[in-house]
Amino acid sequence: MTRRSSAILTGTSTADVARYTKEELMACVVAREVRDGETVAVGTLAAIPACGVLLAHFTHAPRATVIIINHPDYWPFRGGSKEFYDFAQRGKLDLFFLSGGQIDRHGNLNLITVGDHERPDVRFPGGAGAAMLYYLPHRVVVFRADHSPRIFVERVDTVTSPGSTPPDVVRPGGPWKTVTPLCVFRYDRGSAALVVESLHPGVSREELGRRTGFAPTYDGAAGVTPEPTDAELELLRTRVKDTVARIYPRFAMTAFAG
Amino acid sequence: MPVRGHVGSDYERLRPEFRVIQNPWAPSERVMLVPSISPDVALIHAIAATEDGMLLLDHMEDDALLAQASRTVVASTERVVSSQELRRSGEGVILEGIHVTALVEAPGGALPTLVRGAYALDADRIREYIAAATDDATFKRYLDRHIYG
Repeated sequence: MTRRSSAILTGTSTADVARYTKEELMACVVAREVRDGETVAVGTLAAIPACGVLLAHFTHAPRATVIIINHPDYWPFRGGSKEFYDFAQRGKLDLFFLSGGQIDRHGNLNLITVGDHERPDVRFPGGAGAAMLYYLPHRVVVFRADHSPRIFVERVDTVTSPGSTPPDVVRPGGPWKTVTPLCVFRYDRGSAALVVESLHPGVSREELGRRTGFAPTYDGAAGVTPEPTDAELELLRTRVKDTVARIYPRFAMTAFAG
Repeated sequence: MPVRGHVGSDYERLRPEFRVIQNPWAPSERVMLVPSISPDVALIHAIAATEDGMLLLDHMEDDALLAQASRTVVASTERVVSSQELRRSGEGVILEGIHVTALVEAPGGALPTLVRGAYALDADRIREYIAAATDDATFKRYLDRHIYG
């Protein structure tokens, strides 16, 4: 049995409700962050970024170098993940994607524990490369396929990857955007904090406030996230879906509306 | 060994064996040093191997690195082949036998995970394993059915 992801609830008309899923919208947001000619990498458990990067690669970024961990067609290394991590440590990635069990107002990510570290309430899988990969790629887009006050918190319990670091730490890159099913935050370096850049169609400031564990601050120019175009949805549901199905078969069955 | 990143994260607090030093070549920068990992024993599975322990390994995995880091390396393999045949294979990376302590011919030895080019990951079996592993009795039944059976 396949389960369709719940279509995004725009609260306007039933036509909008069925037009795209939250995964499709998020993939389109991700695609807009990819620039042609860049070197872009997608890690494990990152199906939405994989879709977004492929969508960009198949449209406006044909000359991007695309790396997708575990995908045999997008893995230009022979020396295992070590070769990839070494490549990243050399600062050769322009764009990368991370997520967090907790994500806070200051762009800190927690992939370790919630609660007392010695007796945690929740134990996440661990940071793996996230304490390096938040520093070296020039831009890091944080993504999360669900949005709740438990995830988006005032202050993470454990800092796997800090949003900002002192000036004497080698950090050529860092947080850039955060993409959720409700909104897009940009990371504001001046205030070292997430600022709402756009709300997704149908999402109100009241709803975002209710579902976020800190009081969101808004860009002066904060607007509505552009909806996916018909052409984007068509490409997502054909070539992109077929490509990601090789490593995310279950996601491919459920995340697309068509 | 030095790693970039990490400085300023809670790893500094949680992992006292990680040290932060001044970069000797750029004294205005701080960098982190972490101790290397040296496993006593590594168990790795090869796509193919020769009788003297030369291995053909999946190029997307870190088995060659793991073998070089470990004191004792026990390799299992889908099949034993001649060195000419091993070198002709276009897929995978070759690890010389000097890194290998013992070799076992074990077709299907990676199940329920995959061997690229031989068999796919068995997702249903992995789910069964996860459910069985919560309890000694169910785990014994899993072993009896799939390993000893």
